[in-house]
Amino acid sequence: MRVHQFHPTLAPGDAMSNHVFALRKRIRHWGYDSFAYAIEAKPGVADVRSYRRLFREVKPDDLLIVHFSMGSEVVDQLVKIPARRVLVYHNITPPEFFSGINPHAAAFARLGLRQLTRIAPAFELAIGVSEFNRRALADAGYEETARVPILLDWEHFAVPPNDGVLARWKGMRNVLLFVGRISPNKRQDDLVRMLAYYRRCIDPEAQLILVGAYRDQPQFHARVVALVERLGLGGAVWFAGSVDDASLLAYYRAATAFVSLSEHEGFGVPLLEAMRFRLPVVAYDAAAVGETVGDAGVLLRERDLAETAEAAAMVGEKTELREALVAAGEKRVRDFDPDTVAERTRQVLGL
Amino acid sequence: MGEPKPIDLDALMAEVRERIRTKREKGIYGPDVDALMRVPLPGGRRIFSDDLQDPLASLAEALDEEVEYDPRSRKPIVGPVITYARQVVISLVRWWMGAILERQERINRLLAAAYDYEGQMAPRFGTRLERLEREWKERREHEVAANLHSVYFQARFGGDEPVIRRQSEAFVDLYKGRKRVLDLGSGRGIFLQLLKDKGIGGYGVDLDPRMVAQCREKGLEAHEVDALTHLRQVESGSVDGLYARHLAEHILPGELVEILRACRRALAPGAPIVFVTPNPKTLTVGAHTFWTDPQHLRPIPPDLFTFYLEVEGFTEVELRTFEPSERRLNEEVPAGPIRDNVKLLNETLFGDRDYAVIGYAPK
Repeated sequence: MRVHQFHPTLAPGDAMSNHVFALRKRIRHWGYDSFAYAIEAKPGVADVRSYRRLFREVKPDDLLIVHFSMGSEVVDQLVKIPARRVLVYHNITPPEFFSGINPHAAAFARLGLRQLTRIAPAFELAIGVSEFNRRALADAGYEETARVPILLDWEHFAVPPNDGVLARWKGMRNVLLFVGRISPNKRQDDLVRMLAYYRRCIDPEAQLILVGAYRDQPQFHARVVALVERLGLGGAVWFAGSVDDASLLAYYRAATAFVSLSEHEGFGVPLLEAMRFRLPVVAYDAAAVGETVGDAGVLLRERDLAETAEAAAMVGEKTELREALVAAGEKRVRDFDPDTVAERTRQVLGL
Repeated sequence: MGEPKPIDLDALMAEVRERIRTKREKGIYGPDVDALMRVPLPGGRRIFSDDLQDPLASLAEALDEEVEYDPRSRKPIVGPVITYARQVVISLVRWWMGAILERQERINRLLAAAYDYEGQMAPRFGTRLERLEREWKERREHEVAANLHSVYFQARFGGDEPVIRRQSEAFVDLYKGRKRVLDLGSGRGIFLQLLKDKGIGGYGVDLDPRMVAQCREKGLEAHEVDALTHLRQVESGSVDGLYARHLAEHILPGELVEILRACRRALAPGAPIVFVTPNPKTLTVGAHTFWTDPQHLRPIPPDLFTFYLEVEGFTEVELRTFEPSERRLNEEVPAGPIRDNVKLLNETLFGDRDYAVIGYAPK
């Protein structure tokens, strides 16, 4: 028996792609042949096969894991391949976030949601990476569902942090960080507005770093850049783009707080990365954010930018609070210990 | 490593809010910062999830929006071909699009009807309505200083019982031989007692339960209900007289008209009706003493009140003023223009403080 994983795109630095590769490593370690397939493999990822090979190679007693986070015509064909089929759901950003900003993305999100329901009968098991996702699966008509967190792989962070990045942000008192694709659901626009409060009412030197690819949402990115200008925050907001592990590590080290105002996350890997690298987390409680953060961060129940800014400032200035959050964060990360998650994955997959 | 101490989020957020409050007070966090945080995302529509926060306003905008699509291509050489191809496709799918849009229109209408049916026009509609109702209630209460300590107010400004009795006595004879006279705003029951003493049947209504209780203690009939509701409830023509002392200045003009109309229905033909109210024609009343009761909504000029009665069909409408001012200018001056002027001044400034309009239900 072999284990095949599919996702339409596989890209470096993408939480879901990392999950696919981490899982492949584990499965191989358990003694099975395992391969990753994609329609599009972005530069920088190695050892990914074309999805076309799936139709030739998958045998009826193989396990086909379909990772699902967007609509794709190919999936309709994939579910016809005779094999044990398992869906891993990473959630689909609701189309309303793209409506009026990116009609293309909105159409794909709509397609994805329809497809999710349509292909339900083809899977013997559907795994949600969070309870939020598992519930969405149950709502979409999946009979067998399980919650298994994302399989994290900390090993790729076993690099020295990028010196250039560290040097650039050295000595700054208030550096707020958010990591995630520039996308309307992640609400980088509200982070920028929040920074306006921060600089007017807390620290005029405060900086905001937005790490994350902006190619997928060029319209939204352009509009957030325009917002930065409109608010006179040029020079205070740094769009770092998609970065390598060494730089990402350096950003986590350089920042004073991780702030999330995201309104939709299927899991929220960067929240755990921040905790892992001893950065306190202040996050608005939406979608799966709450269950990922647990009691290890400042969870904001109300969407109030001034309160978000003040909470982030307190986290930065109060040593005791900061230490408590860091300790709680490190403990929280252990709840998602890769070995434990891998074992649980093996169990539900019946490997 | 031991167990990390749990973080008290409530305490933390309390401090956060305290900091914001302080900054507001000191003017560090002013409306300018609020405005900054509300700057819309430039270059197009708001994010739809924000629109969903205020669906009613956003819906209005969306309905006004034109759907625009420009089929022209600006690519060199192939541009015109692409443009032509797009136009062909558009004309081919026009009917299909129309069918889809028609279905959408049906869904929209059904949804709107369904929401309306459930009485939930939009998320948070209920909350907003509740807020509005609360604010309206507060507004009504503040308008009449409902939060004032009424006991202390009565002690300082409340009318003397003997004075009230003396004033009311003047009207009792109008109701001679009546069986069921209604006192609107019967208060402590002074007028009801006078009626009873003269063997006239009567009862009162008052909004204040304590007043109603006082009446009942004295063996008088009184009900806790507002005037208009009661007048609409009683049987037509079942009341054969109506007295309302210092009621009209506590209600809005429209309510007064409603009460008069309800009276006409409730009163037996020929039944007398008397309204007593402060006389704003006397300037010291209209400009001063009228307003010493915060529950007074607005003064009613006697001519207007007379007109109200006449226009609502009451007959033999008559105006009576009484309670002359205690202080007056000395009129003992040589006869002639000066005395005339002093008399005129007395009339204007220090005339009678109350008046009554009297009328009869049409026969």
